[in-house]
Amino acid sequence: MDSVGKGAKLSGMTEFAIRKSFPNLTGQNFTITSPETPEYNCIAWAAGDMEAWWWPDANNQYYWPEEVPRNESLRAFKYLFENLGYQECETANHEEGYEKIGIYRDMQNKTTHASRQLRSGVWTSKLGSSEDIEHPFRGLDSSDYGSVFLIMKRPNQS
Amino acid sequence: MSDLAPSFEMMNIEEDNSTIGPDFMLVKRHIEDVATHYFKPLTRQWTNPPIRFFNLRSQWETDTAMLSSITEIAMHPSYQQIIGMGPSVIPLILNEMTIKPGHWFWALKSITGEDPVQPKQRGRIREMVDAWIQWGKEQNYLA
Repeated sequence: MDSVGKGAKLSGMTEFAIRKSFPNLTGQNFTITSPETPEYNCIAWAAGDMEAWWWPDANNQYYWPEEVPRNESLRAFKYLFENLGYQECETANHEEGYEKIGIYRDMQNKTTHASRQLRSGVWTSKLGSSEDIEHPFRGLDSSDYGSVFLIMKRPNQS
Repeated sequence: MSDLAPSFEMMNIEEDNSTIGPDFMLVKRHIEDVATHYFKPLTRQWTNPPIRFFNLRSQWETDTAMLSSITEIAMHPSYQQIIGMGPSVIPLILNEMTIKPGHWFWALKSITGEDPVQPKQRGRIREMVDAWIQWGKEQNYLA
């Protein structure tokens, strides 16, 4: 899955929109790796699913595992990834044999985003309904996403 | 949409041309928006539901494209204004979904009180879109 759409760099307009949203990204430190699509989001992408949009919306319209509390608290998102075999860890540093995810929280303490570390040590994110990108760990710190609040890891799955 | 037709014709582009990429569609949408602003004074836009809808949709899409939280996406002021327009926007939303799948499910459920999406389809955007389009046909909102 890590190689899906790799090298699918799109136009300057898309790149401009991404850089505008995330000031830590420059022309040199991120790569667009997929076309835009509303079919999955960052949570699904971090969980390894490209076929559904995962969110614990109160309207009960989007995918959320039944065994996980359906609310937007950080605790619920942590439980979601614990159910997928992840455990909280201290650092974002790459560790051989493990894969990591980061959960973001904004200034209002709302959970906003999740990213996943690739085996290369680079991080990958699905940006809402927009593209997947590969980026540095702190590349998505911004007013919209806030910053990484929780890092979790699990042994590589394959 | 008839107000916007000249821009399509000038470009001589078919909507379903499979060689057109997503960036071109984005540019085309901006051209539509520019044409709308040029041909319709703002005061008339607000009394014309289709034009008001397209303006609000454009702002909503721009502002929420990078967001994952459906709550944040649906609480955007433009999206809430679209919901506030009531049943007149149902055919506009359903037509929009046939062109570009998007997060219109909250709005449709709020306006209609219905939800034709089955539990097993939750989050599967294409299946959710198909369920709503089928509903729209059954309710005679779509041909």
